[in-house]
Amino acid sequence: MRKVDEDYFLNPPPGSAAERAVEFGVDLTLTLENLRLTPEERIRKLDSFITGVARLKASARRLGPRDAADNEHY
Amino acid sequence: MSIIEAPLKLLGEHAVECVIIGGVAATLHGSTILTNDLDVCYGRDPANLERLANALRSVHARLRNAPENLSFILDAETLLRGLNFTFATDVGSLDLLGEVRGLGYFADVVEGSALFELFGYRFPVLDIAKLIIAKRTAGRPKDLIAIPELEAILQRQITNKVEGYGTE
Repeated sequence: MRKVDEDYFLNPPPGSAAERAVEFGVDLTLTLENLRLTPEERIRKLDSFITGVARLKASARRLGPRDAADNEHY
Repeated sequence: MSIIEAPLKLLGEHAVECVIIGGVAATLHGSTILTNDLDVCYGRDPANLERLANALRSVHARLRNAPENLSFILDAETLLRGLNFTFATDVGSLDLLGEVRGLGYFADVVEGSALFELFGYRFPVLDIAKLIIAKRTAGRPKDLIAIPELEAILQRQITNKVEGYGTE
């Protein structure tokens, strides 16, 4: 990736779509990370994230607020 | 299990003529927006519907959000009678759109799409400008929040094209 492309996302030019995206709340440093990957790597990263969230959901056990307050690590 | 890679390979293995659209298309263009299913716009000629039906049967596709006792014969004729389908399969969720709101049917959607080599197969991926139109037309909050980032990526792609550099 060219430096000029990186600069566009890291230091968005005034009035650019990138600047509007940052104002909207988009973290363009993450976008840049994605753009550095190949398309296959982008898919695998997405797959890995979805699988990770599903695993987390499956393993998590929801405790009540009292349990959370009593937890010494809380 | 891979939620996106496996359905893509399925479509590739069965040589289904389709365009990748939706969140996965956004991911392929570099967006960080998350999605957990694969959306494609498929060609509706008889031979492609046969290939698609074969692919779907091979992974025991069933309609999502449909009663379990609903009689549904998964063949080319059924696909021809319907248009847009949402399937759960053994390899993940797969949404098949015969028409994309704001864009049209397969021939309109595939026009100008970028070709991506993925897992040994070549797939057309919806052009980012058209993706923005589709998301704006869909108009749901989850679609609209994707637009600013896509517009930033598009602006960079256009600049690169003007300057004679590729986008990938």
